[in-house]
Amino acid sequence: MTLQDTKVREAASHEAASRPRRRRVPLTPYLFLAPGLALFAVCVLYPITQAVRMSFYDWKIVASATSEFLGLDNYARALEDPQFWVALGNTGFYAVATLVPQVVLGLAVALLLHKRSPAQPLYRVLYYLPVVTSWVVVSLLFRFLFADAGLVNFALSEVVPVTDGQISWLADRWTGMVAISALGVWKGIGWSMMIFLAALQGVPTSLLEAATVDGASRWQRFRAVTLPAIRAALGFVTIMLVIGSFNVFISVYLMTGGGPAGRTDVLLTYMYHQAFGNLDFGYGSAIAVILTAIVLVLSLVQLRLFRDRDAGQVP
Amino acid sequence: MKRLPRSALALAATVTAMLAVTACSSGGDSPPAADQDGSTSENITLTFWGSYGNGGHSAQQDVLNNELIPAFEAEHPGVTVEYVDIPYDDLLQKLTTSSAADELPDIVRADLGWVPRFADLGVLVPLSDVMPDWDELADAVFPGVLATNYYDGKYYGLPLNTNTRVLITNPAALEAAGRDAPPSTFDEFVAMGEALEGTGITLFADGGLGAWNVMPWIWSGGGDITDAELTTSSGVLDSDANVATIEMLVDLYRAEKISSGIIGNEGAVSTSEGLPGGNYATILDGPWMTSIWSEQFPGFEPVFSPVPAGPGGSVSVVGGEDIVLTTASEHQEAALDFIRFTQTEKFQMALVPTGQLTVIKALGDKQIEIAPELEVFTRQLETAKNRLAITQGAEVDAILNAELTPAFEGKVSVREALQNAAARIDELLPR
Repeated sequence: MTLQDTKVREAASHEAASRPRRRRVPLTPYLFLAPGLALFAVCVLYPITQAVRMSFYDWKIVASATSEFLGLDNYARALEDPQFWVALGNTGFYAVATLVPQVVLGLAVALLLHKRSPAQPLYRVLYYLPVVTSWVVVSLLFRFLFADAGLVNFALSEVVPVTDGQISWLADRWTGMVAISALGVWKGIGWSMMIFLAALQGVPTSLLEAATVDGASRWQRFRAVTLPAIRAALGFVTIMLVIGSFNVFISVYLMTGGGPAGRTDVLLTYMYHQAFGNLDFGYGSAIAVILTAIVLVLSLVQLRLFRDRDAGQVP
Repeated sequence: MKRLPRSALALAATVTAMLAVTACSSGGDSPPAADQDGSTSENITLTFWGSYGNGGHSAQQDVLNNELIPAFEAEHPGVTVEYVDIPYDDLLQKLTTSSAADELPDIVRADLGWVPRFADLGVLVPLSDVMPDWDELADAVFPGVLATNYYDGKYYGLPLNTNTRVLITNPAALEAAGRDAPPSTFDEFVAMGEALEGTGITLFADGGLGAWNVMPWIWSGGGDITDAELTTSSGVLDSDANVATIEMLVDLYRAEKISSGIIGNEGAVSTSEGLPGGNYATILDGPWMTSIWSEQFPGFEPVFSPVPAGPGGSVSVVGGEDIVLTTASEHQEAALDFIRFTQTEKFQMALVPTGQLTVIKALGDKQIEIAPELEVFTRQLETAKNRLAITQGAEVDAILNAELTPAFEGKVSVREALQNAAARIDELLPR
């Protein structure tokens, strides 16, 4: 980056010296950006502004009907709606319950796979396979696994006898959330593993060797050399996983449908229920806007926490 | 990075932009070219959405596509009916988004619970206003199913087919309980549960606590959800009769004689598998189950009988579909002709063998002749009632589920649960 900048500046000063004229604005980067930006504006930005607008109305879906302007009423309604808080609590539970295992296990698997071995590509594929498998397929699969007469109950009573095998996983709020989170973790480990694996390639071997020479133990090398070197990846994975966990929808919708009685609803299933079940698009949009605000704040906080204080010291 | 020639970059950018634009466009089929006057002299196409093929059972769709639509087209030269099958679970959402985008088809076979909400959106044509022969058509159908089309002083559709829930019993469970007939009263129902103790068979299973699920019990128990004028639920839903009825179900549930599927446990064995599979002794369900089981459980011969009678008699819930005309239709006259065609004996009787019950009063006996196994359903329909005819039917279901589930779990008393539900339903009722 810096090198290129210097070159560009050199070239510019050279040009300016020989032929004084206004600095040319390079077109190429904008050409590359244009399609993405156009797509983003039409398919993301415009719908977002529409959703924000809808959240201030008792929105009627038919264009000919007039929608009543409500101001912030939809937002006030959300804050007083007990079901909204249940959904928010479940979303928070899911975020915490899936984040920690995905980071820890993802990093552990990446460390194992980082060791050179002829079987490494095979394992990499096996761990990554759940990531590319359809959410719908694995959600239905997990619903059967966690069914009353499912494999999980069988395993927990017959194989490892720790329960009586009579747990109705999907019939209660917290057991239901555990089942949904288990799917999230299983499906997500491969992704964080991949990012960590890439980051581990960048850990300077010279530092690791130096630490070994200094008599650092395996754990000390990991703490003092590897971890700081992959700090940026750690931050990236954490932020992306938190954003992802707040967007959980398909697995909840298919595994419990938010049931029983809405107790395993997350924000998106509740929003969907309000918008498409009750045709209350104004309230649904308000929930979506609140969700966006929460994710934005959380991401900013995390960005601050993970800001690379040692920038420049680790090449 | 080596520099690419400028022209290559420009080309790449253009192609990407084009891809982006096409990806954003709706991609849907454009509606057929319209002739504005709606006359039938030129070739026109009527689009008809429905969910006859739901669950991959092609029997109804085959009759429609191979027999009924060709018969209509033969009588109406120049008119083509294009039937589009949409899975039941997706149809409501598709109708909703299509209403917003003004892309509705001409005719829709809509669940009877959806008619008021789409009438409220203003996307349906009031048939009672535009059909000169309305009175004649309306008089021919069962009043209970006709009522499902009524909204704000007008009728927005005609009943197309109807159904109701009856008690379906596994004969093996009858034997295990030492009975020769299914329970016909609440008392016999509870007694059968006791007789099944120790057999590993659960007395009853259902998939939720919405109006479709609990209203047969509530009506049979002599109660109701609101007064007849739809002014209040408080004082009606929390009546002593309803408390007694729901307490009967809760007691059975607490004694593990009702499957946890009723409180929305997606992990419980489903009713359609659990009854033939021997997990459940009885379920309440509709006439379509026969064709589902004949494919998946050949040899299973369930016993159909009326809903167990309580103090209010044996009263079940009306289900079915209505046929509606949308304001988006550019061929109203042709579409109305097709709607008239659906009310004929030919149309109604052709679908009876596939499990669709007729809505025409005069055809009831003929229906039993064609399909004797539908007799229980036909008789049950004589007393069956319609659910609340309000726009927020889905919300009523959500309230009943949310408030009754804690009662089944023993967290609140049944009376308290019914009072809470009634208070919330009060808010949905028109003032």
